[in-house]
Amino acid sequence: MTWDAPVLRSTVDPSGEAAARNAEAHTALVAELRGHLATAARGGSDRARERHEARGKLLPRDRVDALLDPASPFLELSPLAAYGMYDDEAPAAGIITGVGRISGRECVVVANDATVKGGTYYPVTVKKHLRAQEVALHNGLPCVYLVDSGGAFLPRQDDVFPDREHFGRIFYNQATMSARGIPQIAAVLGSCTAGGAYVPAMSDEAVIVRNQGTIFLGGPPLVKAATGEVVTPEELGGGDVHSRVSGVTDHLADDDAHALRIVRDIVATLGPRPARPWEVAAAEKPAVDPAELYDAVPADSRTPYDVREVIARIVDGSRFAEFKAEYGATLVTGFARIEGHPVGIVANNGILFSESAMKGAHFVELCDQRSIPLVFLQNISGFMVGREYEAGGIAKHGAKMVTAVACARVPKFTVVIGGSFGAGNYSMCGRAYSPRFLWMWPNARISVMGGEQAASVLATVRRDQMEARGEGWPADAEEAFKAPIRKQYEEQGNPYYSTARLWDDGVIDPADTRTVLALGLSAAANAPLEPVRYGVFRM
Amino acid sequence: MFSTVLVANRGEIACRVIRTLRRLGVRSVAVYSDADSGARHVVEADEAVRIDGYLNIAAIIGAARAAGAAAVHPGYGFLAENAAFARACADAGVVFVGPPPEAIEAMGDKIRAKQHVAAAGVPVVPGRDEAGLSDAELADAAREVGLPVLLKPSAGGGGKGMRLVGADDELAEAIAAARREASAAFGDDTLLVERFVANPRHIEVQVFADAHGNAVHLGERECSLQRRHQKIVEEAPSPLLSAEQRARMGASAVDAAQSVGYVGAGTVEYIVSADDPGSYFFMEMNTRLQVEHPVTEMAASVAGRTGIDIVELQLRVAAGGPLPFAQDDVGFAGHAIEARVYAEDPARGFVPTGGRVLALDEPVSAGVRVDSGLAVGTEVGSAYDPMLAKVVGYGADRAAALAALDGALASYGLLGVGTNVAFLRALLAHPGVAAGRLDTGLVERDLDALVAGAGGGVPDDVLAAAVLDERLGREPAGPVVDRWDVPDGWRIGGPAWRTLRVTPSGGEAVPVRVRGRASGAEVAIGDGEPVPASVRHTGGGLAVTYGDRTRRYLRARDGRVLWLGRDGHAWALTEAEPVDAGGGGAAAASGGVARSPMPGTVIAVKAAAGDTVTAGQPLAIIEAMKMEHTVTAPIDGVVTEITVRAGTTVALDATVAIVEPTGLPQGENAS
Repeated sequence: MTWDAPVLRSTVDPSGEAAARNAEAHTALVAELRGHLATAARGGSDRARERHEARGKLLPRDRVDALLDPASPFLELSPLAAYGMYDDEAPAAGIITGVGRISGRECVVVANDATVKGGTYYPVTVKKHLRAQEVALHNGLPCVYLVDSGGAFLPRQDDVFPDREHFGRIFYNQATMSARGIPQIAAVLGSCTAGGAYVPAMSDEAVIVRNQGTIFLGGPPLVKAATGEVVTPEELGGGDVHSRVSGVTDHLADDDAHALRIVRDIVATLGPRPARPWEVAAAEKPAVDPAELYDAVPADSRTPYDVREVIARIVDGSRFAEFKAEYGATLVTGFARIEGHPVGIVANNGILFSESAMKGAHFVELCDQRSIPLVFLQNISGFMVGREYEAGGIAKHGAKMVTAVACARVPKFTVVIGGSFGAGNYSMCGRAYSPRFLWMWPNARISVMGGEQAASVLATVRRDQMEARGEGWPADAEEAFKAPIRKQYEEQGNPYYSTARLWDDGVIDPADTRTVLALGLSAAANAPLEPVRYGVFRM
Repeated sequence: MFSTVLVANRGEIACRVIRTLRRLGVRSVAVYSDADSGARHVVEADEAVRIDGYLNIAAIIGAARAAGAAAVHPGYGFLAENAAFARACADAGVVFVGPPPEAIEAMGDKIRAKQHVAAAGVPVVPGRDEAGLSDAELADAAREVGLPVLLKPSAGGGGKGMRLVGADDELAEAIAAARREASAAFGDDTLLVERFVANPRHIEVQVFADAHGNAVHLGERECSLQRRHQKIVEEAPSPLLSAEQRARMGASAVDAAQSVGYVGAGTVEYIVSADDPGSYFFMEMNTRLQVEHPVTEMAASVAGRTGIDIVELQLRVAAGGPLPFAQDDVGFAGHAIEARVYAEDPARGFVPTGGRVLALDEPVSAGVRVDSGLAVGTEVGSAYDPMLAKVVGYGADRAAALAALDGALASYGLLGVGTNVAFLRALLAHPGVAAGRLDTGLVERDLDALVAGAGGGVPDDVLAAAVLDERLGREPAGPVVDRWDVPDGWRIGGPAWRTLRVTPSGGEAVPVRVRGRASGAEVAIGDGEPVPASVRHTGGGLAVTYGDRTRRYLRARDGRVLWLGRDGHAWALTEAEPVDAGGGGAAAASGGVARSPMPGTVIAVKAAAGDTVTAGQPLAIIEAMKMEHTVTAPIDGVVTEITVRAGTTVALDATVAIVEPTGLPQGENAS
């Protein structure tokens, strides 16, 4: 089928001064991103890595690379998790997660990094592990766990162990995913202690490396304390014990590479991926050079620009069949293809009005009816405010869009390309609306409102209180009050603050937007679509 | 002329004879053994008859009769110099394309042949070999033949007990010492003496005689470039001889042929000292078509024009026709040099290789002739001679011929079977060869340098080509390509490096890192810096850009082995993914696989699964090319698998046994 929708043209002059300024800013932002990624990718200290390798173990990233099909992509999730947290002692939160091809199947890979605090689970580590399982669940992807972890990080047990979304949820997810027919596969490449022992034990099929992997509920020190029995780790829960005697593991490997080969063979027995719920066409490169994305997008999210400049650079042939172009123009909606996958694009081109919200709700329903995945390009400072708009029912119109977005059963993908503020975040499929993946550009900002607005709102409230008490508030005092609020919002609205806490799946180079969307679309196509059903739309 | 001729041979010479038969409109009949059932000579002949072996006289005569052949061309080797075969042909009423059986017999015994031609006035190496010479008689004889001389034990062989004497005053002592040695070694102190020919060159003369009493020579060929008496490179004319010397040696060769009533094509081999080109000595006469006859065909002229077809002449003479030219018509016009392509591995002591021809790109250009028996799919085994093809370069002079030959060898592409082509190119580049200063010891003397010059290691560009080929092979086909299928190793922070361990056959693994897509990748060899590189398919191979050079490679894949060829070199490479490097079956990783050093047949198995062995202990004996090779345990350990038994045919590098190191738990065996 040919896709001959109109071709978008760019109005950006790549040799212009604005383009140069934008490109310079984005280049610097991407360089900073790459620097952070490179640091996090190293994992633990040089000494920890050397010690790890000296034991004949592959480094966790080498394990993942060796596991994946040669030369295939890897869509890593939240590589900057825990960035700036825990005194930066846990790069990437000590765990590597992502979607990758193994023996021709897209799988979710979860790999502990034993060079980071012995692979123990910080609170964000738990969150990252659970998020990876969520990705597997939503997209129907087999899970491969490369286990090398000492279990919960004991000093923070209260934030790791007891709650609903804590450590126990990992095994709950394994059981319930297995029940849904989502394969659970574990390779024990190191420690697997206490609760961690359940990762292989809860798996459908498990591999262990002899003289290296260990599985036990209580390690030798605990055993000695409890019963006085003195036993070596290998005797207590080594590969031979579990493969020959206990039956906790199903395959005995000689080393990491061998174990990974066995995992690849296991995945090969899973059969081909399920049929895609939508038709995929031949891909076409964007007609407008994606390399000029840096030129086209102002680095400061407050500078307005036409979001079609972005759409033109990420969709096949820059072809875009726009829907309701003349109505509710601050929201751009339309059909396109990304690497052959059909998508409905919902993109902000200004603040949301009632019309734009209703248009958005309508378009989301269209896509859902037609089994077309949704891509949200989020750059939103919020809904229009004021008496006229409240009276016009902007709350209920916004609610329609939020309802449509929340209930749509087609896969949703969100890229925060600028601001993500307030209720705009909700209607544009923020994290709470379970997009299959959510990425941020390095220039993006996310908070309940802008720092300046928050400072003004709080200052107004305070001024009102002071004035009610008859007190005055000099301008310099007000400024002193507002400055830390602005600073807090700037810090917390930063994409690295967001990605450290897994509010997103990663900060990406804008130039990679088309690639991550294409990988995400293809991964999402592993899961069948649920029947269309909506909640009550308030009319 | 005959209407049908049977070619009682195989390989390149059978193809070459069939080519002439086809040109003359003569129906050709090939014979083949089971091993050759799909061989090129079988395909090219008009008819082919299966036989039990190329030495089976009755079968060949039967085939000739069955196919209605009026004549049999024996090629060289096999039955070409077998008088009984010539007689059997005659008895069956089939013409043997070759000399009369009496001539074959007269030249078949080397000592008799020498005495015979000496009587006809052909020079032989001067000396005396009567029994019972006294010390004084020996010394006199030595002075008579002229110093330096060789003293040889009569009972000896293989050079044992030979003594070189250069000066008169050394004679007495040398004779005494030689007698003691001969007596000790052979229990017989009889000595003979002959002239020592220093810096010997092998120069032979092509002769031709018809049944009407006419005999001519077609000039000489020099075949001094030899290794272990095996000719490697031959040329015509010899750079050593003057016209006058040529005429004298030629006339002498015709005398030798006529002394035995010769009919047909023959070759008289002489030894000539490089120091004294005027003296030449008869060694032997080969009563058949020579391997190296193409250099004569290309360079010899009749009435100033080249293009003699010796096979055609053989057939015409065998059919009773007269020689179509006289001696005065014959000369040389230009120069031709031939190189023999052998299935052998110079880097491993020239052991025969073998395998299936996966890709073949033989040069076709002006001034180049290739006589080959190869085709894609040909199985080169250990059953027959390892010579695969002959490449001949022709030019107006020797330098032009050398250049043509080197160019032809550079573009000789053969994958699947290791060859000596790179060694041949190194030999042609030898300063002595380039200058025409040849002798039969040259190759052996400089063998190490020549082998090194043929390149032991794998060049970086070839390693890069190997990993890029691997990556190119991952490019998806079809219009609809899933993004996950795109082999670019995409990662959020930039494309991932992947390390492949590339192992050349018989060599050390080299880690090669690669990242990016085949059309725009980076490659880093070992610890080297990344180099931009790309690859694309060409007709039969690859064009690879590595750095700022783009080269073309012939390319074929055989299971896990990737063959790449360029400039006459061919490399057999295996690439291991990181995940392949691990254990599990893998004594491979710990070096515990014992492999066949050459293609051959297992004649004995010396160990069994479960045996504890030490490194170096024999595991199996493989016979190939009449030599026995012992396959030994590569490491101390336990034999977990013997993959062969007596009688098994094995390929080069085939796994013979797997030894797992001791000291590690032994899988299922340990419980």
